[in-house]
Amino acid sequence: MLDRRAGVPWLFVAPLVLVMVVGFVWPLLQVLVNSLHPNTPQGIDAAHWTLGNYARLADPFYGEVLVRTLRISVIVTAITGVLAYPVALFVSRLPPRAQSLFLLAYISPWLINTVVKALGWTLLLRTNGVVNTLLRGLDVIASPLKLLISETGVIIALVPGHFMFVLLPLWVALSGLDPALSWAAGTLGARPSAVFWRVLLPMTLPPFVAGLVINFIMNMTAFAIPMLLGGARNMVASMLAYQVNLVSLDWPLGGALAVALVAFTLTVVWAGQRGAVLLVSGRGARA
Amino acid sequence: MSLELVDVAKTFGTVHAVDGVSLSVASGEFFTLLGPSGCGKTTLLRLIAGIHPVTAGRVMLNGRDITHSPMHTRNLAMVFQNYALFPHLNVFDNVAFGLRSRRVARDEIRTRVREALALVKLEALAERLPAQLSGGQQQRVAVARALVVRPDLLLFDEPLSNLDARLRDEMRFEIRDLQRRIGITTVLVTHDIEEAFTMSDRMAVMQGGKIMQIGRASEIYRSPANRFVANFVGPINELALSDIETVGGRRRARAAAQLVVWLPNAEEGFGRNAQSLLLRPESLRVSAGKIETENRYAGEIEDVIYLGATSECRVKIGEVRLSAVMPSAAAAGLGPGERVSVGWNAQDGVLVDAG
Amino acid sequence: MILVVNILMLIVVLAPVVIVMWMSFTPTATFVLPLTDFSLRWYREALSYPGFVDAFWLSFELAILAAVLTVTLSFLAAYGLVRYRPAGGGALKAFFTAPLLVSAVVFGIAMLQFVNRIGLYNQLSGLVLAHIVLVVPFAMRSLEVTLRAVPEELEWAAMILGRNRMGMLLRVTLPLCARGLVTAFLFCFLLSFSEVTTTIFMTGPGLQTLPVRIYNYMSDRIDPTVAAVSALVVLVSLALVAVLNLLGGLRRLTTQ
Repeated sequence: MLDRRAGVPWLFVAPLVLVMVVGFVWPLLQVLVNSLHPNTPQGIDAAHWTLGNYARLADPFYGEVLVRTLRISVIVTAITGVLAYPVALFVSRLPPRAQSLFLLAYISPWLINTVVKALGWTLLLRTNGVVNTLLRGLDVIASPLKLLISETGVIIALVPGHFMFVLLPLWVALSGLDPALSWAAGTLGARPSAVFWRVLLPMTLPPFVAGLVINFIMNMTAFAIPMLLGGARNMVASMLAYQVNLVSLDWPLGGALAVALVAFTLTVVWAGQRGAVLLVSGRGARA
Repeated sequence: MSLELVDVAKTFGTVHAVDGVSLSVASGEFFTLLGPSGCGKTTLLRLIAGIHPVTAGRVMLNGRDITHSPMHTRNLAMVFQNYALFPHLNVFDNVAFGLRSRRVARDEIRTRVREALALVKLEALAERLPAQLSGGQQQRVAVARALVVRPDLLLFDEPLSNLDARLRDEMRFEIRDLQRRIGITTVLVTHDIEEAFTMSDRMAVMQGGKIMQIGRASEIYRSPANRFVANFVGPINELALSDIETVGGRRRARAAAQLVVWLPNAEEGFGRNAQSLLLRPESLRVSAGKIETENRYAGEIEDVIYLGATSECRVKIGEVRLSAVMPSAAAAGLGPGERVSVGWNAQDGVLVDAG
Repeated sequence: MILVVNILMLIVVLAPVVIVMWMSFTPTATFVLPLTDFSLRWYREALSYPGFVDAFWLSFELAILAAVLTVTLSFLAAYGLVRYRPAGGGALKAFFTAPLLVSAVVFGIAMLQFVNRIGLYNQLSGLVLAHIVLVVPFAMRSLEVTLRAVPEELEWAAMILGRNRMGMLLRVTLPLCARGLVTAFLFCFLLSFSEVTTTIFMTGPGLQTLPVRIYNYMSDRIDPTVAAVSALVVLVSLALVAVLNLLGGLRRLTTQ
């Protein structure tokens, strides 16, 4: 380093840190503080402190919302998990140009806002939409399926929405694998399916699990799709947050909800990381 | 188990990586594919292993045609350049991998793995992960993993190129020793001439996807089939020939348009269209006094380079420049500018065609 | 078998976008299936609908501001981290990536309550700040990769030849990072342009970005006008993605 004056790196980093503190840390702290005040018709009572907002979260209504959110998220993540490997394997074996094209196809939906996608799914899944018209035209069903304003529709629409978060790390891992490993397994007598289960899968498990964790969190906190395709009858956590913060304007409760969501998210991430570590170390210690 | 390749070819797009290769390896023989990078030797090895399908030709193992057999049915084993040990399995599980694929019983696996590890002297490290092993140790695990399945054919893809020099010498002898004891047919790929010469019974020199010459080390060194082979296996002096004539049962020609040289007696096929004379540096005699070789000339020393056990003498005969190598003791008194006699015996020369 | 799964997945991933674009050409006020007659009628409707036009310009302005500011701040920060490798650099990196862990919903709630507290509710400045924070993790990742690709030796050579660090940065490093900077900018722009959740939570009727406007419209009714405007959004987004891809942006995304 030619100018190792202490403090120079901090000069470069400081502006962003400042913005992040003001725009990220402070708001979160604000929410935490708000959640500890009681709410009154006149607004937040900043003079008093209470844990009552958190206690209210234990209400069965909120529990029902949480269970529904969990259920949807687990199903979507599970489906994603099953589909990720076939897709990643396929794409990683294509010639390089084709690979970029395919990845582009999977990534671009992420860069187009979810509302437009929700519109697309609405047009596809509604009573006289594309799917129903197709199925009735092919005589597969007699009367239209109710796919909209239902959990099913939400699940169907969420799968592609967050698929990329598992596909991308998995593809990177598979592409980065030394082909000699597959060859070694093959020459030693392992059929292609055995090569997958005994070599490829174990070696790509950590990024796969990490991707699933992110995918799960994104599903838990999705808003536009559940709102537009599920409706008020199928309320999930994010919709509840909307209700509490923007309709009831009960910010202390909304704050408590936010804190609870963050706590849950961090717990899932932590558990996922520990799980991945255990998976990897558990295999090496076999006799 | 003998191996036979009949007219094997492999094209990738428009590239002819392997172009009409035929060879036979006898049972128990140690055979090497030798050549510079890009010559097709590794591709050929992979064709034998079944990693890539052949574009044309046949691969026969002990008379059985395995050309279209998938690689997990061929019952051979391969040791890769970077060992390809499974990083998520410990040494024991790595070595046991092939046995588990063959559904060998648990007890038998334990016995055979221990045997294999003992063979490569690594019993103590059975619980370690590959990342915790040195390069040499990883290499031995790779060898043990290959041998434990009792393959019909053992393949090596430049197994020693990632090791440091001292370890390389050690492993050369160990592998060769192991191979002789077990008697397994082996094919090794390398670009290192010393490796090929040390370890093989016979070798094939490859270039541009084709075989240039097959034979024992001594044959390839002393009687290279063409200029490429001659140049590849060691330093060589080359003199262009013209005016070839036969005088009293022996042949002579004009070399480099200046010297009159006696040529070696041509064997069948060699030397008919001879355009160049090749001379190994060690076959040249350089001396301040008289020399007794058939071809002798008066020359001048340009430079003497001390290389330890040997010394290189760069000499000039008129405008012809030659490089000679001799024991340093013999080069002791020589220095630049000194007038010397330079010569060689006609039979030490090698005739090659123009291309 | 794998091929079937792949074809299915591709269809599922691309279907909604394709349908929106296809349906936007319907000549009638309803979505007719199958669609054979194509009309640009609803595009004219969409483009003359003031709500959408205003929202578009707002989104555009917001995205430009957010992208420019984020890239500037992140480039400086990334430079400090990559070249100087200060102690605590790892913690800083984690800090800059933290918004990803705090989901858009929670951050939306936080920004909502925060801008109200400091009197910036429904102001563009508050929204810009929120979008910057949301995009920083991606900008940092991308710019870090970009900077690492510029060998430090080049900078040393320039400084030995007489330039101070500032001059060297401007004359040597910045030009070499040009592609990476443009890529990061495009990326931030796209992400901001399509941001929905956080924006919905922290803005009111007076400050609707295009996605929010579409969302509100859709909560009311689904008609070809909104399909047309959505199709336009898709076109713009895809165009930017294509440019991004040409500049090699995908590779920067996927490098570890």
